Amino acid sequence: MKFDVMLTGVGGEGVLTTQVMIARAANIEGHYVRGVQLHGLAQRGGVIPTFIRFGSEKEVSSPGIMQANADLILAFEPLEAVRATYYARKEKTTFVINDYPLVPIYASIFNISYPTMSKITKRIRPFAKEIHVFNASHLGKEKFGSAIFGNTILVGIVTGIGLLPLKQDSLREAIRVTAPREMENNIKAFELGLQLGREKPSAR
Amino acid sequence: MDVLEEPGKKVVLLGNEAIVRGALEAGVGFVAAYPGTPSSEVPMTFARIAKKVGLYFEYSSNEKVAFEAATGAAWSGVRAMTSQKHFGLNVAADSIPPVAYTGVRAGFVVMVADDPSGWSSAQSEQDTRYYVRMFKMPMLEPSNPQECLDYTKLAFDISEEFEIPVFLRTTTKISHSIGTVKLGKMKKPKIRGRFRKDPDKYYTLKPHLQVLHDRLNKKLKQIEEKYGLELNKVFAGEGKTGIITSGVSFEYAKEALLELGLNPPIAKINLTHPISKGFVSDFIKDKEAVFVLEELEPILENFVKQIAKEANPNLVIHGKDLLPRYGEYNLETVIPAFEKIFGKKLGINFDDHKKKVDSASKGLTPRKPVLCPGCPHRSTFYAVKKVFGDETIYAGDIGCYILGIFEPFNMQDFVISMGAGAGVSHGISLVSDQDVVAFVGDSTFFHAGMPPLLNYKYNDAGKNPLVVVLDNAITAMTGHQPHPGSGFTGMGEKVEPVKIEDVVKALGAEVRVSSAFSQKQLNTALQELKNLKGPKVLVSRGECRLLTRRQFRAKGRTLPLYEIDQEKCTRCGICANDLACPAIVKSTVEPGGEPVYSINPDICLGCAVCMQICPEGAIHIVKREGK
Repeated sequence: MKFDVMLTGVGGEGVLTTQVMIARAANIEGHYVRGVQLHGLAQRGGVIPTFIRFGSEKEVSSPGIMQANADLILAFEPLEAVRATYYARKEKTTFVINDYPLVPIYASIFNISYPTMSKITKRIRPFAKEIHVFNASHLGKEKFGSAIFGNTILVGIVTGIGLLPLKQDSLREAIRVTAPREMENNIKAFELGLQLGREKPSAR
Repeated sequence: MDVLEEPGKKVVLLGNEAIVRGALEAGVGFVAAYPGTPSSEVPMTFARIAKKVGLYFEYSSNEKVAFEAATGAAWSGVRAMTSQKHFGLNVAADSIPPVAYTGVRAGFVVMVADDPSGWSSAQSEQDTRYYVRMFKMPMLEPSNPQECLDYTKLAFDISEEFEIPVFLRTTTKISHSIGTVKLGKMKKPKIRGRFRKDPDKYYTLKPHLQVLHDRLNKKLKQIEEKYGLELNKVFAGEGKTGIITSGVSFEYAKEALLELGLNPPIAKINLTHPISKGFVSDFIKDKEAVFVLEELEPILENFVKQIAKEANPNLVIHGKDLLPRYGEYNLETVIPAFEKIFGKKLGINFDDHKKKVDSASKGLTPRKPVLCPGCPHRSTFYAVKKVFGDETIYAGDIGCYILGIFEPFNMQDFVISMGAGAGVSHGISLVSDQDVVAFVGDSTFFHAGMPPLLNYKYNDAGKNPLVVVLDNAITAMTGHQPHPGSGFTGMGEKVEPVKIEDVVKALGAEVRVSSAFSQKQLNTALQELKNLKGPKVLVSRGECRLLTRRQFRAKGRTLPLYEIDQEKCTRCGICANDLACPAIVKSTVEPGGEPVYSINPDICLGCAVCMQICPEGAIHIVKREGK
């Protein structure tokens, strides 16, 4: 068995913490885990493509996912979901997009407008089995006081829909270890996500 | 913390964390390092655990002194380690070769992280495997976090057994990759030792120098004989075509072959210097062809070619004929090479897919890395550009401020190495009439920025470059490590901070200090300095705003927040386009309508610089609600 998750977003959004969270949950279940965080210069407001791969040690060895081979792409930022199509293909990949645009400063400097969500999904569709869009960061802000909780909500959502083959309890335990300071709110955010996912919103 | 978990447990670690765990299992007692990504998490992890574990850790002021300090500890019988990125090794390099001759007493591991593709490096793709051949030191290369742990531990043992420093080389995709790691038992560190005078060991003067050199050659031979066969591994397979690989390339080979349903024999070289001649000739002797898979330089490939002349002259050797000699590899770069060699197709056309992706992402707004909201460097760049204009030569250096290379500033005309901005500027000033401003960060100033200033004083250019020290109180780029000006050590002990202006004065330069967040102060200081002749320095001081935010949060305080008054705003766009703070967002309410500029309260860090530059006075402070 082999499962390939890609997280993508902007430096400072908590992408790396989410990677650690999911990787820990996979480890709790006894999977062999690999992955990589592509940061450095990009940490400062740039794109951070991040990978988590788990399954049997025989099948998983490269730290990065092969082109067109992600099972699940979790995009914390809509524009970055489009650029993540490099790792996606129609027969295999499900996209879950956080509808929380972080407009790059270059939109103003180069005078390029930020696309609407329907234009974004139109660009992604040829690469996606399914596309789900949620307002997770807005919810995080509204319910828990910060957009950062949107990350745990998203993890809950993908688990609730059944897109991430990991047990809820493993994820809860991983959240407790990974975010000890804001544990209570993060667990609540995860539960909220689970519920939203289970309600199965219509995929776009 | 996972890195300190119980023996026997399986945890997920970053390659760099696994290296630290390996060192702890080897009982390392002394660690000295200057941070450099992709190696930065090695010292950062040591910094977090040093007190708890009872070992000595320091952030040294550069890689050379770090290497020297660790040498002193290893000579005195304490297991020692130093780490750096590839360019860091260039700084340390001056001190390294003699230590191969003298050797060490306790185990000494030198970790170095290369950065093919330049994820965290804007200079070159140097391959440090060449270095160990010149240094005449052994090098181990892990392929994944588990091996990072195992080989670090082993490196200490080999180092102590043969009394020679041992290199552990990673690349970005190893240091920054995560993987399941099974932990072993940690050893209580020994942190006290004693230096024993021993001319036979330490005198590197002629004629004893040759005696030591001869000893070193013999040591390397012994290491090759003892570990060459034991450490390198053969994975049996079918057919007459074999794969020879090492490091992260092994991981790609394994998975690519699985994807293609192939099972050729693989030779994995873990001791990449000295490479065992016996191991390689044994592997190639019955093959018709081999594919040598390695990133960057054809070091293994050339070695195989050399051995094949005797062991198997008819062997077909593939390597850089099928793959580039630059950049890092991944599955999609190595699979086509395997397809060619074995005549088997995967069924995915990577080029076609890439074309589809390019067309889907066409015309999207780029998202280049930017200086953070509230960054003091942005304010300094803005003020310097106002005073010095577009024609001045702007020398760049290594740190967050390298991002000044992008629009709208375009104020890093070249970037060479730590401290080199000021160094190169001296030559430009001597041969041209151009105005030159050299930027250098605080940590970079302490690391390598002082010698050029001393040279300015000694060899006065008449009209000297202006050196602007961007002092944000921390080594920000690599993850907020302290430096001599920060006021605390790597183990968190309070110390008296070294003031940059005091050092600058002692080096004979005229100095002004300004708040980096005050356009008025910056402007006054820059105007004064612009017309001065001798060596001159502006210290632009403003704490990294991310650090300020952290301190505010710890105290339960919130940073001020600013807002654009839409009544007063004339939509001139200076705040967004010339200052380029990511917290300022341009949006249009209706398609094709008038743009609206606003401040994103989620990311504004309240530096107040936009307020100072707004020509209409339309930006003002507001009360922040909630968290």
